[in-house]
Amino acid sequence: MAAQEPATKRKRISKKNKAAWRKIDIEDVEQFLEDQRQEERIGTFTDKQDEDLFVVDTSPQKPAPSQLTIKQKRKLNALKPMRSHQALVNTSKVQDPIVKRNHVRQKKSGRNIELEVCNPTKPRHRQANADRGLYYEKLDKELAVRESGKKLPKIDKDIWQEEDFRDKIPGLKDEKGWISRDLALHVAGNIGRKVVKTHASLHHKTTKAKKFEAPHPGMSYNPSLKAHQELLAEVVEREESLIKKEQHLKRVTTTMFSKVTPEERDKRRLEEMSEGIKEDGEPESEDEVEVDPKSADNSYSTVNAPVENKKKSKAARNKELKQKKLQRQHEAKKALKKQTADLIRIKSIRAEVQEEAEELKDLKKRRKAAAERKKYETKRLGRHKFEEPDLDVNMPEDLAGNLRNVKTESNLLTDRFKLLQKRNMLPTTVAVKRKRAKVKRFPRSSHKEPGVSFQELRDRRKAAAAAAKANSDTIKI
Amino acid sequence: MRRPKKYEAGEATQYISRRAALRKLQLSLNDFRRLCILKGVYPREPKHRRRAQKGSSEIKILYHTKDIRFLLHEPIVWTLRDYKIFAKKSGRDRAIKDFRNLKRRLALFPEIKLDHIVKERYPTFIDALKDLDDCLTLLFLFSTFPSLHLIPREQSNLCRRLTIEFLHYVIASKSLRKVFISIKGYYFQAEIKGQKVTWIVPHYYPFKPQSRQEVDFKVMSIFVEFYTIMLGFTNYRLYHGLNLAYPPQFPSSMLQDNEETLKDETSFVSERIAALNFELLRTDKVQEDEEEPDIDMELLEQDGDSKRIIKMKQEAQEIARLRNLFKGLKFFINREVPREPLVIIIRSFGGKVSWDSSVFSGSTYDESDETITHQIVDRPSLSTQYISRDYIQPQWVFDCVNQRQLLPTNKYFLGEELPPHLSPFVDAKRDTYVPPEEKALHDPSLIETHAQSDDESDEEEAAQNEDDTVDQELLDAQLQRAYQQETAEYKKYGGPDGVNEDEEDTDDDFDGEQESDEEEEELDEKTKRLQEEKKKMSVQSGKVHKVNKRQLHKAEVDEHRLQARMVKPRHRNLFRKLIREKQSKEKEEWLLRKKRRNIDNDTKEAKKLVKREAKKAAAAAAAAASQLGVK
Repeated sequence: MAAQEPATKRKRISKKNKAAWRKIDIEDVEQFLEDQRQEERIGTFTDKQDEDLFVVDTSPQKPAPSQLTIKQKRKLNALKPMRSHQALVNTSKVQDPIVKRNHVRQKKSGRNIELEVCNPTKPRHRQANADRGLYYEKLDKELAVRESGKKLPKIDKDIWQEEDFRDKIPGLKDEKGWISRDLALHVAGNIGRKVVKTHASLHHKTTKAKKFEAPHPGMSYNPSLKAHQELLAEVVEREESLIKKEQHLKRVTTTMFSKVTPEERDKRRLEEMSEGIKEDGEPESEDEVEVDPKSADNSYSTVNAPVENKKKSKAARNKELKQKKLQRQHEAKKALKKQTADLIRIKSIRAEVQEEAEELKDLKKRRKAAAERKKYETKRLGRHKFEEPDLDVNMPEDLAGNLRNVKTESNLLTDRFKLLQKRNMLPTTVAVKRKRAKVKRFPRSSHKEPGVSFQELRDRRKAAAAAAKANSDTIKI
Repeated sequence: MRRPKKYEAGEATQYISRRAALRKLQLSLNDFRRLCILKGVYPREPKHRRRAQKGSSEIKILYHTKDIRFLLHEPIVWTLRDYKIFAKKSGRDRAIKDFRNLKRRLALFPEIKLDHIVKERYPTFIDALKDLDDCLTLLFLFSTFPSLHLIPREQSNLCRRLTIEFLHYVIASKSLRKVFISIKGYYFQAEIKGQKVTWIVPHYYPFKPQSRQEVDFKVMSIFVEFYTIMLGFTNYRLYHGLNLAYPPQFPSSMLQDNEETLKDETSFVSERIAALNFELLRTDKVQEDEEEPDIDMELLEQDGDSKRIIKMKQEAQEIARLRNLFKGLKFFINREVPREPLVIIIRSFGGKVSWDSSVFSGSTYDESDETITHQIVDRPSLSTQYISRDYIQPQWVFDCVNQRQLLPTNKYFLGEELPPHLSPFVDAKRDTYVPPEEKALHDPSLIETHAQSDDESDEEEAAQNEDDTVDQELLDAQLQRAYQQETAEYKKYGGPDGVNEDEEDTDDDFDGEQESDEEEEELDEKTKRLQEEKKKMSVQSGKVHKVNKRQLHKAEVDEHRLQARMVKPRHRNLFRKLIREKQSKEKEEWLLRKKRRNIDNDTKEAKKLVKREAKKAAAAAAAAASQLGVK
């Protein structure tokens, strides 16, 4: 309404000239006159009957066009096809030669507000509550199953049955062979069911050693004498080698150093630590006496002797050059002589060369053998090297000879664990004891025993610690 | 062109340190460990450590970069990450005491699914069977564990269930081949689909706690977690291969309504299943007899009789005999004997077994049953004994299986000192020299012949004659049984000398004899008539097939030459080496045997000499005495 007002406003025009008179709108006057003339021709409507003038309107009354807000209008407008698309609208009157066309349904973008308004769903909170109820019902069932301990892995299919991933995804299985395998793979990946190929190195064996190592026949609960002796011999051999190694280490480390008594050691330590510190008893004057005369000179002096710039004389240089030349000549001569001598011993040289070649060949062979051997050995996977666990053996006196009194020697769990390490499946580790934080303990003052002071307790503790240390420190000589 | 930087290519990029892998996968160390074990990704050793570690020479744990990249695809990585979130959220709930939410969260605990990993790691079923050794040993071990820290009770229960299921398969398929009692535990070897599967069952002793310093329990528990799934699927497939219902069930006829069953049927059934003493429900109605080996053998026959095929045939025969080793025997296990291993062995070779009902549920007959043939006892003496049965020590069962025949029981009687229990994993027929003592252990028949041949033993024999008669009877029974089995096999496979119908008839008679001793007398007349009939039948004397030794040797040499010529040039060296090795081995063996012969001869000579001396001395003494007497 507000927008229409300016249109009804009378326009003011200048009427200065005669020509400007034409600008005046005389339509209303003309209209009036015309109406009068018409009345004269056909009479006024007071003369006419009502029936002539009015018609009974039998058609249902049309509702007044709804007054839409701008927002609503916009929404309606949004439903209309876009201006830019008007050019694309088919305005042709020619009939479509194709009778039936496939409808291409446009994808909706975003929410369809109108649709939502037209058929509203349940109120959200009501829906949510219903959902939650269902959820908890299901949950309680699941919990009941879990508590009864029946939740076991579901094994109800043969996983090794040959199956194509294309069977599972609808549309990828085509009898006509139109969809290549590559395409199917691609599609599967994009659908979210990616087919992952395991690479071959995952199945490679890291060691050539046999998986199952037969137990030594001497490990029988009732072994034959020969087998048992063999096993014992093996154990002894291994133990001996261990002892030998240990002894070697001891010889190379501990016994290499001279040993002293603790008293001597303490004394030495004291001496070493107090090196350069003046002792109380000795007079300080001795040092001072030595230092004094130098400081008295007040001149700069160093410990090292002064550097001299010794120059060789020209004659000496010449002599040196000559010597060098002579040396070179001598060497050349010697080489020539050797060459001629070699001509004579060409046979032995050939032998030498051959020997060398043989040696190299041998070395190559040995290296190859070592590499081959290494394939059977345990790999070094971590910081610690794998060490073969001890052999399990019953000592002769433990052999009962019947099943009732068998003495089990090994621990199967440890055995398996070591086997996994041996087969390069686990890195060898050493269990680390977690260090406990050092906590200083002392009695609370409120719990102090009468007559025992904190000082006294501390002294006692210190004395005990010192005694313990003294005990542990004694070294045999 | 850009100059390539150091460690941008080559070995440095092939390997990735564990720390880097953690960062790449965004997992904690524990999760990473778990993931690696589940997926079968193990650390690697590089060829040049310094290069692989980008210059640093300390020893780090390295992985293949490819492996780690492969782990990135794994859906369970997400589950592992979810664990972290779960722990945080549930911890929060607990802290603020929001128990409703906590309950909800616990129910939604993200479970790891491992099915696809099993398939991925073992693309074929045979691959899975090849890796079953470790799996079974670990599961058998874990099934004995109580609930421990890091090893929940459900896990050990599951292990127990799965192993029992597997044992049921072994029994149903009769695939057990070797058994061995070691100080570690019981070794079992079965042949499943051509794969040898070996596992160790720990001795039945109370659980001993284990120090955590030696073994990382967490790691072992993860291995077990994977192996349970794997064994589950393996069992499923194995059961379906035999047309058995999985999970194992009893035929409804087995379940009679009594107090026990009505009280708690599930526990009743599970106890019976654990007893391993009943046949399981089959999915097909008719129980088919095994026929596959026959067909195979017939097919093979067309290929001619090369050495290998003959060997295979023999093996097949032996196995067929082994599968029914204890057929018709009835065992009773005394209470001090470990029940489970013996039940497995006896049942998987066709025997019937029971035990005292107070030891374990599922016993089928009492000790007082007169039809029991063997009672397994492991104590020095027994107060009440039945005449109708042999009282043997458990080792007899194990040794019989390893020797693939029923051994004489006399050496294994109650309170007897047992012969050594030999390992079946050492090949007795190996090429190297086997001393006669060891040979005798494997083949007891050799002992007797050896003893008889000795000169001195005659006198001892006379003294022992009474004892021997008992043994002899036993041996006779054994031999008879063995003969029956052999004839049965010949019927099956067609032995070298064709078996005619008459012999079959006698077989039937033998069977009749064995089955019922009481009926024997009644049937006496019948047998007499039969024997008379037999006498009337004419038998033509056979001709001895003469073997031309020279020709045979020539043929052998020719064949060898041909073989040598057939060898590809690049394999010639290998062939020569093999031949040389064989020859040297033969020579060594020959030398050892010669040495032994010499030693034996020497000792014999020495003995003879001593005897002669003694005789001489005796004669001299007698002469002296007579002289004295004369004087």
